[in-house]
Amino acid sequence: MAYLEMKGITKRFPGVIANNKISFSVEKGHIHALVGENGAGKSTLMRILYGLYKADEGEIIFDGQPAVINSPRDAIQLGIGMVHQEFQLVPSLTVAENIVLGYEPRRNIWVDRDQARQQVIDLSEKYGLLVDPDAVVREVPVGVQQRVEILKLLYRQAELLILDEPTAVLTPQEVQGLFEIIKRLTSQGHTIILITHKLIEVMNLCDHATVLRRGEKVGSVLVAESSEAEIARMMVGREIVRSYEKKHKAGLSPKLVCKNLSAVNDRWLPALRQINFTVNAGEIVGIAGVEGNGQSELVEVLAGLRECEGEITLNGEDLTGQNNRSRREIGVAIVPENRKTQGLNLLGPVTENLVVNRYYKPPFTIRGILSLRNMTQYARDLIKRFDIRAEGPNAVVGTLSGGNAQKIIIARELATQPDVLVAAHPTRGLDIAATQYVHQELLSIREENLGVLLISADLDELLAISDRILVLFEGQIVGEVDPKTVTFEQLGLLMAGHIKNVPQAVEE
Amino acid sequence: MLNKDELSNVGVGILQVCLTLLVALIMGAIVMELSGKDSLAAYQVLFESALGSKTAIANTLLAATPLIFSGLGAAIAFRAGVFNVGVEGAIYVGAFGAAWVGFTFLGLPGAVLIPLCFLMAAVVGGIWCYFPGLLKARLNVDEIVTTIMLNYVAILLTSYLVNYPFRLPGLANAMSAEVAPQALLARLAPPSQLSTGFIIALIAAIVIAFLFKRLRLGFELRTVGDNPMFARWSGMPAAGVIEKVMFISGLLGGLAGAVQVLGVNYRFVANFSPGYGFTGIAIALLARNSPLGTLLAALLFGILRSGSSTMEIFTNVPRDLITVLEATVILFVALEFSLSWLRRKQNGSAD
Amino acid sequence: MEVLTNVLFGMLRMSAPLLLAGMAGVLSQQVNLLNIALEGLMLFGAFFAVVLGAYFASSWAGLLAAMIFALIFAWIFGFFIINLRANLIVAGLALNILAVGFTSYMLVIWFNARGVYSPGNIDKLPTITLPLLDQIPFIGDILSGHSFLVYVSWAAVLLTSILLYRTPLGVHMRAVGEHTEAAETAGIAVKIVQYAAILLGGIMCGLAGAQLAIGDLTLFSDNMTNGRGFIALAAVFFGRARPGMTAVGCLLFGLFEALQIRLQIGTGLPPQIPQMLPYITVIILLTLISVREKYQGRTA
Repeated sequence: MAYLEMKGITKRFPGVIANNKISFSVEKGHIHALVGENGAGKSTLMRILYGLYKADEGEIIFDGQPAVINSPRDAIQLGIGMVHQEFQLVPSLTVAENIVLGYEPRRNIWVDRDQARQQVIDLSEKYGLLVDPDAVVREVPVGVQQRVEILKLLYRQAELLILDEPTAVLTPQEVQGLFEIIKRLTSQGHTIILITHKLIEVMNLCDHATVLRRGEKVGSVLVAESSEAEIARMMVGREIVRSYEKKHKAGLSPKLVCKNLSAVNDRWLPALRQINFTVNAGEIVGIAGVEGNGQSELVEVLAGLRECEGEITLNGEDLTGQNNRSRREIGVAIVPENRKTQGLNLLGPVTENLVVNRYYKPPFTIRGILSLRNMTQYARDLIKRFDIRAEGPNAVVGTLSGGNAQKIIIARELATQPDVLVAAHPTRGLDIAATQYVHQELLSIREENLGVLLISADLDELLAISDRILVLFEGQIVGEVDPKTVTFEQLGLLMAGHIKNVPQAVEE
Repeated sequence: MLNKDELSNVGVGILQVCLTLLVALIMGAIVMELSGKDSLAAYQVLFESALGSKTAIANTLLAATPLIFSGLGAAIAFRAGVFNVGVEGAIYVGAFGAAWVGFTFLGLPGAVLIPLCFLMAAVVGGIWCYFPGLLKARLNVDEIVTTIMLNYVAILLTSYLVNYPFRLPGLANAMSAEVAPQALLARLAPPSQLSTGFIIALIAAIVIAFLFKRLRLGFELRTVGDNPMFARWSGMPAAGVIEKVMFISGLLGGLAGAVQVLGVNYRFVANFSPGYGFTGIAIALLARNSPLGTLLAALLFGILRSGSSTMEIFTNVPRDLITVLEATVILFVALEFSLSWLRRKQNGSAD
Repeated sequence: MEVLTNVLFGMLRMSAPLLLAGMAGVLSQQVNLLNIALEGLMLFGAFFAVVLGAYFASSWAGLLAAMIFALIFAWIFGFFIINLRANLIVAGLALNILAVGFTSYMLVIWFNARGVYSPGNIDKLPTITLPLLDQIPFIGDILSGHSFLVYVSWAAVLLTSILLYRTPLGVHMRAVGEHTEAAETAGIAVKIVQYAAILLGGIMCGLAGAQLAIGDLTLFSDNMTNGRGFIALAAVFFGRARPGMTAVGCLLFGLFEALQIRLQIGTGLPPQIPQMLPYITVIILLTLISVREKYQGRTA
């Protein structure tokens, strides 16, 4: 009998089915990988197990008993613990205080600090997770913070530990350290579920792997009897739509050139490491990669919203040092990743959302005053041209469907006839019709000899419309592939951190 | 001029204002009844004395005048997402600025002196709120605390000025010299003190409404207030917008001060403001930051304020009831924010 | 020398309400609820101290009433901002304005007094002479002979510190304030912890108000808190919500208040100038803190 069984788990959010009748089981003492791309549903499934979400359908059977888990406290009581991708540590408290948080040992009404320290030291020695109990968490390196998180679970006597993308923030050496810790934990009888998209980890560490894709379970394999290629293929899927006809060859004259581009993320860690790439006229360059490998930072850098080192030029003109508005004037257009928070004002009318990149110039501003008439007319034109389904130019954007809202962004950006369009996840959350529409628009820009940089987590999309695909992994471009000839396995491997024998080498 | 959508928005706006005020009046009635007063009789006196005669109406408009300015000042800042509690301070420094010009340049003709007084008030008031705006825009310093602090500084500073350098010798009260007679604002409806200041307030409301709708800055401040991240991603100069908005906010407060000096007190009197700035906050919140709504709300509060002293005389209901009504209005609006927050949260989060 | 003694004595006296309100602010801030309503809660405390003290002809009754009523209003405030999730700032503002309006209104209704009310039948709170200590020259004159709430305010600083750093509730409060999600996933009941902070703060604000109203003289006047709630809040920002540093801030402001009274007797500086200093200092300090935060990461 399996140690943990999740049966028929379904979880719906407005507009999307995050988990669709997923069933999977884990044996005691195993290291079980839960694999998949972003949006596959891995985190959701585990959050249900940990009591942060409630499943709409399905049941959980743990250690032979049906389990009702309504809150993290319930999960903890059953012996289930989870280390989140973003650490849940209180920065100003010490290591010991964090580990015992919520379950502090007490002496009368006081916190028994000495006992806490001692228990932490004991646990630390038992599992070989070396930490200084008195160190303040905010001053402790990330690798140690992770050990603190794990000790937190062990202190609460977790038998089943869920680790969500634990190596995302670790250096290679720290990764090795983590692997040893995991092995030691299982040797002491614990069971581990590892959420990851990195195949090296799956192959080197795990006994079993369950692959999720788009909210559904694709399959479960015994790692020893499988291969990276097989798992990669399960991760990315087989059906594609390579059905778009491209009318002419991609151009060769460079439009957007990035040289030695480096940037740090919000945690001051490197997000982009000296990348180089070019977008030529009349071509669509796709950037593939699992989220979190530098894509967001790349878009922010190109938009002028994040500092960077290196060089960015458009048609020879230097963009570094220019702010967002002047870049737009020079010819960059952006479809941002998050349309609700970055791409639109949901509280405002369609007209204002359409005109926000041009309102300050004639014909929309005449002698300092906005011409509402010209703005409304412009909006009507764009609504017609792009077939935006809304009650009228004054409709509040928040009431529109996702597809129509995205059309507003695209209409706005294309109307200025940019030299290069940077589109980040432009079809995320859209239905098939809307997705196809966006693809057609991108292809038509290509027809007009302009350039498109398409950043996407959807491989079908990238393969269908890109002329070239660059793969971004941990801030570097690890490969460039030809969509017409590349195989899914190759793409999967590149995206998951393997540099193998790929047709084209890393661009210099 | 106004299309169908806008008319319905206006209609909804007026409804919101009236509904909220109704709730407040009910709350006030409860308080009165619990303290043994006849609420209906009290309200009757209140409204009659505020609106019952030509002079009464004039006095109501007089009471509303500073509230229109302070309400607009608060509204423009709130709309841009900046919680400026410092209009009260701008009122004080603006008032002193106007008074100073008024009692210093005694030789200038009225047609020059009056605009000069207003100009001084506007600039000084503007700077007073510009400074915390700058700190917020460039360094993200919390604007609530800084503006509250500056309120106290303004009150103390102006108090110092009329108690020491500019004190009128021989008087016990702290006040400045009287402003030159040609600087006084003309009365509109004697014996009420209602002056042309009221007209200026109306003009200010219209100008601000125009700004919101038709000027670049209006578009920018509304967008920054609705979604600052989107504003940045679209290339709007968000920091500059906040600074300009705060300046205008203070400028409006300064004008309120100028009107009190030139139209009512004829000099600067220490501690002259019974909290115009704070009532302005209630007004702006009540009107959901719409300029014309602010005008309406200010007039309604003018009714309440001006009728309340007579109400007190005849029914023994203390005029502080109005303050209780103000608090109820603000509380109601606070709840409404939470409701729309709740609604948005439910519609929001997919993983 | 006597001047110095007087000033320091005055400093301790004037900072008592600030210390109490300051600790209330510290607790709120530690659970990440910006408490703008300190001012209003203090005013309610002052009012009910006088009113019910007069009714029962006992300053102890007044003290108890201040605590109870401030607690009630703090509970209402907490309900609005924690359960109903009303906008913190707007709700706090509403409570402050309600306090001013309600107390002035009731003063007229119950006592027919406008502006000031001074009942003749209660004594102020007892002053305490510290045994032994009061024999020491200079130090004795400063430390001994204060109203008993002054000593309570020092105890409040100590107790707040102990609560926050030694008890489980305190650790939970700090966790909730710093990283609510971490607290939640650790199994802590976030709302209850936040309520505890607000309610304890309410009691302390009540005490602060009582000190103002019946600690020295026995009277209530309209709006008698006069911004002290915001000064206390400023001290909380100054002290970054740590009891010790916040107390330093409160003492500093108390010092300015005492100095200013002293200077009115002597000549020299007009009172408004030193009075302005605390407020200006706050602005400068907040700016420096923001500057540091902005450029901090660069060196990492």
